[in-house]
Amino acid sequence: MTKRYVLVHDENKCIGCQACNVACRSENNVPESVTRIQVRIEGPYGNFPHLHFKYNRVSCEQCENAPCVKVCPTGAAYVNDDGIVSINEKKCVGCLYCVAACPYKVRFINPETRVPDKCDFCKETRLARGEEPACVTVCPTQALVFGDANDMTSEVRKVLDTKNHYQQKVNLGTEPRVYRIPSRKGGIKA
Amino acid sequence: MNNIWGSMEQYDPVVWNWIIAVYLFMAGLSAGSMLVAIGLKWYKQSRGQPTEGLPVIKAAAVIGPVAICLGMALLVLDLTKPFEFYHILLNYNLTSVMAWGVIALLVYIPLVFVFAALVFEKQVLQYAPWLAGTLKVCRQVENSLNKLIFALGLGVGVYTGFLLSAMISYPILNTAVLPALFLASALSVGSAGNILVATLFFSKKESDCIEQVHRIEYPVAFNEALCLVLLFVGLNFSGPAAQAATAAITTGTWASVFWIGVVGLGLVVPVLASTIAPKAWRHTKGFLITVSCSTILGVLALRHFVVYAGQSYIS
Ligand code: SF4
Ligand code: SF4
Repeated sequence: MTKRYVLVHDENKCIGCQACNVACRSENNVPESVTRIQVRIEGPYGNFPHLHFKYNRVSCEQCENAPCVKVCPTGAAYVNDDGIVSINEKKCVGCLYCVAACPYKVRFINPETRVPDKCDFCKETRLARGEEPACVTVCPTQALVFGDANDMTSEVRKVLDTKNHYQQKVNLGTEPRVYRIPSRKGGIKA
Repeated sequence: MNNIWGSMEQYDPVVWNWIIAVYLFMAGLSAGSMLVAIGLKWYKQSRGQPTEGLPVIKAAAVIGPVAICLGMALLVLDLTKPFEFYHILLNYNLTSVMAWGVIALLVYIPLVFVFAALVFEKQVLQYAPWLAGTLKVCRQVENSLNKLIFALGLGVGVYTGFLLSAMISYPILNTAVLPALFLASALSVGSAGNILVATLFFSKKESDCIEQVHRIEYPVAFNEALCLVLLFVGLNFSGPAAQAATAAITTGTWASVFWIGVVGLGLVVPVLASTIAPKAWRHTKGFLITVSCSTILGVLALRHFVVYAGQSYIS
């Protein structure tokens, strides 16, 4: 594995506008009833007048140690050479084991193909052409940074080296490749 | 809800539904009834008693193949691509518990049919005399076959538990107790199923060797109860998400299913029935049928509880 694609979501810059969600839908022909990315607006947190919302990106985390790949009985869920967790539609029988096993609940059955679907960083379209994923390109506030973390000169590398960040559910040992820059605002639960 | 980020429907944490619960029940029933029957056979053989034509063994020869086949049929129909299920027989990812289950079932299913054919040899030969040669060969290796079926039965019973416990983000499921719990409850539903079918169809005297099967019920019920206690006590010490999951037995519909179905019908009724019921009742048909139905419903409730409550709490 020479590449290690990662995504950084800056929760300070994000405004929850869903431009990424819409761009993903049109880029990947995602059917109306389902979604590959959502940015959930959670909160408000803090106490008046210091209220703020949290912008929680929900999409495949491209886990390095992916539970969905481990449980798939046929090997239809697999990790590609570039580290992107992928699905081989032909081998899949639709047992839903991977959908149930994903701790981030980002796999869903595509109503058209009857096969699990999820974010793949636009690998077959935009990435193949040397472009960035659709969500990264359209983000109006540049809250998303995408790139190869193995490349010492890449922007993601610089961002992750200089900014405080976290990953979700690290305690499960899945090693997600989506990194988040936490909101600077504080507050405790009332 | 109409969020600006879209529908939340696809994020329902309950992915596997009652069909899986019934499949897990059927697999446990089949494996349990085989384990009990073969165990009884060995027990009798070790004391030099005859094992031919025992009602409980006949019952297992019916339940073993029928339950597993019904279960498999449900499982295949529940796939989103049922007509392409053969891929699961061609590709094996050995880190997946399901792949191991497929391998075990692939050997187990034909063997339980052989077991049944040997038990009902006369009837089989009546309809299919051409099987005589094959059955003769099977009869010669019967002892080894039984050992193999016993081992595979244990495998099938345990694998159904591991299947769920491999899902790391559900605290109720992701515990080592689950396979043990499933095996214990497979044994109890197996013996109850054997007693039920034996009393209904095969026994001439009212108490035909049901006694020995009854005797394993205590330790099995004890183990099952112990596993349940361990499961929920363990959750209490495994961090906030797991602790929140203990609400499964205190609030909501699944709490009633747990206390009425799993504990009441599955454990309390059978144990009380065999301790305080007057001796005169114990071998009457009605009593045996009622008690075994109660155990069977209890285990069915347990599978549903584990599948639904298990997936409702995510860490
Ligand atoms: S987030 Fe879910 S779907 Fe994506 S790699 Fe991890 S386990 Fe698989
Ligand atoms: S649904 Fe398909 S990809 Fe997912 S575990 Fe089952 S066979 Fe594998």
